[in-house]
Amino acid sequence: MNQYRLFLGKEWREQARSFKLFWVPLVFIFFGALEPLTYHFLPQILESVGNLPEGSEFTLPEMTGADVYASLTGQYQTVGLLVLVLAFMGSLSGERKSGTGTLLYVRPISYAAYYLSKWTSAVLLGAASLWLGYGMAATYIVQLYDQVPDLRDVVLFLLVMAVWIVFVVTLTLTASASLPTGGAAGAALGILFIGMMIDGLVGTYWTWSPWKLQSYGLAYLTGGPDTGDLAGALIVTAVLTALLALFGILQARRNAAKAKV
Amino acid sequence: MSITEQLAEIPWGLVWPLIAIQFVLMTAALIDLNKKRSTNGPIILWVFIIIFINTIGPILYFTVGRRHS
Repeated sequence: MNQYRLFLGKEWREQARSFKLFWVPLVFIFFGALEPLTYHFLPQILESVGNLPEGSEFTLPEMTGADVYASLTGQYQTVGLLVLVLAFMGSLSGERKSGTGTLLYVRPISYAAYYLSKWTSAVLLGAASLWLGYGMAATYIVQLYDQVPDLRDVVLFLLVMAVWIVFVVTLTLTASASLPTGGAAGAALGILFIGMMIDGLVGTYWTWSPWKLQSYGLAYLTGGPDTGDLAGALIVTAVLTALLALFGILQARRNAAKAKV
Repeated sequence: MSITEQLAEIPWGLVWPLIAIQFVLMTAALIDLNKKRSTNGPIILWVFIIIFINTIGPILYFTVGRRHS
């Protein structure tokens, strides 16, 4: 426990010094602000960009607050995941490579405390960034759109999304514990995006998967999801996350020998 | 329409956070670049990437440009 606290302090310092504490939330906030603005001013943007033939007319659908949340979620599912994976891909593999690892591994450390301290700081930063991004979007949505979802629904949606982000971050850290930095990023992104593709193909039948969480979360904004399926997906995700963390701890211990001196 | 009228039409109250974030990210990246001076690739290239590529430039620098040593 004592070790865990020490490592956690080290992780926060590391995140502050590498500016992660700073740019990861800012990127999420940026997209959170951009998305509602883009949709609100889409007619003007189309007009000023031009290149439309004379007399062409568009009837743009009336966007509701829930639509903007959905489109922002789509944005976070690509750019957001990319940012999170890129930010945390080197958490363990980078230390093995840079020499920080050797300073740690020669001591009798608990690899569980080592991995979990990284996990805690990464999960907190990831979830906080996501929530700040949606918070920024919410302030715009309330100002610009007529129909906005209830606060209660938005909070439930954010909680479900946080579970998904925890899964993403755990996957990235475990990949980083098992593989070198480049391989870790490739493996994590590959699993995430291939999972989305599989979900797109057979998602109607495979209702209990981590990749389903975002659509169940969004369903809260437009009426409410199938709570049975949501519970199933949450349980599956929790079990997968725990297994990944366990595997990550084992891999961190095994790969300690690969640290460069 | 003159340029001043066009500028006046922009809803600055809504847009300023975007510009502020962009500026803050850029400044942080440049300060860090100046402090570290060791990057993957030539430094001058990163200066241009950070300044001229909106939002993504500084992020690219923080993710792949910094060299751990």
